[in-house]
Amino acid sequence: MSGYLLEMKGIVKKFGGVPALDGIDLQVRAGECIGLCGENGAGKSTLMKVLSAVYPHGTWDGEILFDGKPLRAQSIRESEAAGVVIIHQELMLVPELSVTENLFLGNEITLPGGRMDYSAMNQRAEALLKELNLTDVNVVLPVSNYGGGHQQLIEIAKALNKNARLLILDEPSSSLTTSEIQVLLNIIRGLKAKGVACVYISHKLDEVEAICDTIVVIRDGQHIATTPMDKMDVKQIIAQMVGREMNQLYPTLERTPSEEIVFEARNVTCYDVEKPERRKVDNVSFALRKGEILGIAGLVGAGRTELVSALFGAYPGRSEAEVWLNGARIDTGTPLKAIRAGLALVPEDRKQHGIVRDLDVGQNITLSVLGRFSNFTRIDREAELKVVSEEIARLALKTASPFLSITSLSGGNQQKAVLSKMLLTRPKVLILDEPTRGVDVGAKFEIYKLMLELASQGVSIIMVSSELAEVLGVSDRVLVMGEGKLRGDFVNQNLTQETLLSAALDHS
Amino acid sequence: MKTLNLKQLFTQYKILALLIAIAIIWAFFSWKTEGGFISPRNLSNLMRQMAVTGIVACGMAFVIIAGEIDLSVGSLLGLLGGVAAVLDVTHHLPLPATIAVVLACGLVLGLFNGYLTAYKHIPSFIVGLGGMLAYRGIVLGVTDGVTVAPVSEPLVNLGQGYLSPQMGVVLGVGLFVLGAVLTWRQRASLARHGLPVPPMWRDGLRLAAIGVVLFAFVRTLNSYEGIPLPVLLLLVLLGVFSYVATQTVFGRRIYAVGSNMEATRLSGVNVQAVKLWIFGIMGLMCALAGLINTARLAAGSPSAGTSGELDAIAACFIGGTSMRGGSGTVYGALIGALVMASLDNGMSMLDVDTYWQMIVKGCILTLAVWVDVATRSGRR
Repeated sequence: MSGYLLEMKGIVKKFGGVPALDGIDLQVRAGECIGLCGENGAGKSTLMKVLSAVYPHGTWDGEILFDGKPLRAQSIRESEAAGVVIIHQELMLVPELSVTENLFLGNEITLPGGRMDYSAMNQRAEALLKELNLTDVNVVLPVSNYGGGHQQLIEIAKALNKNARLLILDEPSSSLTTSEIQVLLNIIRGLKAKGVACVYISHKLDEVEAICDTIVVIRDGQHIATTPMDKMDVKQIIAQMVGREMNQLYPTLERTPSEEIVFEARNVTCYDVEKPERRKVDNVSFALRKGEILGIAGLVGAGRTELVSALFGAYPGRSEAEVWLNGARIDTGTPLKAIRAGLALVPEDRKQHGIVRDLDVGQNITLSVLGRFSNFTRIDREAELKVVSEEIARLALKTASPFLSITSLSGGNQQKAVLSKMLLTRPKVLILDEPTRGVDVGAKFEIYKLMLELASQGVSIIMVSSELAEVLGVSDRVLVMGEGKLRGDFVNQNLTQETLLSAALDHS
Repeated sequence: MKTLNLKQLFTQYKILALLIAIAIIWAFFSWKTEGGFISPRNLSNLMRQMAVTGIVACGMAFVIIAGEIDLSVGSLLGLLGGVAAVLDVTHHLPLPATIAVVLACGLVLGLFNGYLTAYKHIPSFIVGLGGMLAYRGIVLGVTDGVTVAPVSEPLVNLGQGYLSPQMGVVLGVGLFVLGAVLTWRQRASLARHGLPVPPMWRDGLRLAAIGVVLFAFVRTLNSYEGIPLPVLLLLVLLGVFSYVATQTVFGRRIYAVGSNMEATRLSGVNVQAVKLWIFGIMGLMCALAGLINTARLAAGSPSAGTSGELDAIAACFIGGTSMRGGSGTVYGALIGALVMASLDNGMSMLDVDTYWQMIVKGCILTLAVWVDVATRSGRR
């Protein structure tokens, strides 16, 4: 059975006696791209952490053969030396350092005396980026000058600089725009041609379909199937992932959106935090009807997150906005005022802005409405727990107990907790910023269903999303933003991804 | 497997490790002083010494849990103690008026620190550093750099008085009953929500341990003069702060702000107000500590409270409060204060040089935090 670059055999990893991985096998050939699929909590990330020695050899059972030799790395450094490099979902670049400095972080080329050999490093950095067709990057500028998409590609360059023979990409495209994803996929194709093997983890199955040769599906820590991609389609992958047939990705619900306009944003302008003369959002106005789901599409950096943050009083820089609810001007200067007025925002970055790590699941859910359970000051724990239990049941939030740490939940369930927290404020207008980022297929469906139910009860929803399929799947109407301006307003009838994309890219 | 269980036990009940540490420290000093250390007289003295640090540590625990730090408390304590002495000695104000004025000053200065931190976005470290210098300067100005004495009888009594032994017994019994009721209610609540209830023997054992400690506490102090008033005040504060931290909206928000301020703000919590009031409470605690300190020494000294902020901060960290904010307990901070006070007291009894005392305290602080970090479950 040689010919494999990597063989993982019978990997078992337990947390506190509970197996997260229960005897997983994985084989990768040189130049092959494996799509590792599974719902959140299936064990994908755990498996990759075993492989990249985030969990050192000895903390798990089983065997890893790399190039036919056993790999027993004790640290990420050792596994990288062997040629296994992982690119994490969160970017691991130091924003203040230059592109070159980031590329060589930990592997600096030095002159005698420990001085950094900048000219050699810059040269090598430029060559690397050229290989990736990243010609518009100036390697001496700080990484923070570049957007999320470029940063992701710089991460890949950094991995290549370590002579990676097996590249693990964990959700590499979650912050990329459609065109940037194409660049990424092309780069991976190039790497495959050079004999670099890849393990590609993504919830976006169309990418997996486009790039992967073999699909490995795991579920609940068990290996389900290894199938060549040409014998499968996305539907079958989903069926294997969830263990049942998913006939539809988007729920349907008979609704009759009313014509009554409840919410209006007028002349929203946001100025860049660093360069106050630059406008991140430039004089945007729109209206929202009662019970309407309004999708906001656009490329990353189009100003969508800034727009909704400004409406909610959460934009960190200077912003101007006129917000009207039910015909009256409302003050949404701070999140507290916005919530009191009837708005709610589920933020894009769950870890930074959504969950509170040191509080348990229940305490996270009630954080927004704590005052409701107290008379004068004392929290009525009974009343609080009652609401928490109801919420957990309503959103089908999977947790063994409300007293568990929020960090023990999978991404999808954390998202449901954040959603529940904001829904408890009984908003009239619910703003969802990338509500299904890093959320598995099953939980996505449930979140969409919840959105439709809320809309049918008269809640108006604004959904910012980078997934065009999702925007088309659930919205009644779609706004397209580009470079801080409104570029289009479409009723979602016979609307295609191409229409939205060309509107987003339009420079006229 | 056995060691694993032990480690789990310590991770779960960090407080147990601290209590064992105290037992070791006490046993060591008792052996070295041939029993002098655990004489009722010395323990009474030790508790009284601890009271000032303990009062400040109560407030500091909230500040640190909220993810901030306050370096000005030592100087603020000195300033407010000095104000108390000046009002009492120079202006002959009646005791209630003195207390009221000092508390009001403490609250205002604390809120001022909080305002600069929460609303003007000056890092609390800098506000504290500035306050540390400025408040100490004001003390020196107010007292002209000389000790203000003698302090009037009622004020001295506040720091040196005792609760009558009968009242002490009543208090001890009352606290035990309270502990029993709370344990019973907690069990009932867990059972009602279908959650695993710890075995009866474990709660029984815990309650018995509380009983033994209370009995020993009351008996030891009663066999000297009774429970010192500062210690009584500290007990009351422990109760109030624990209640606020675990039972109230404000308490929950302190933890939330410290753990993830941005997420808390987006949930519609006025995080600036939370921070403002945490510093306000800190100021109040400095006022109480300043009063007790002046009363205990029967004089307002311009150097009172010097490096008090370090003792209080060390007590919090020894007691398991997280540096990053978001977790910690008030009783932990007080046990930390007890560790610091025991070291001070024991080493003074042994006539250890001051420089050695500082070295030992520094090492203990570092060691305690290392143990805390090493037993934390997550690797990050």
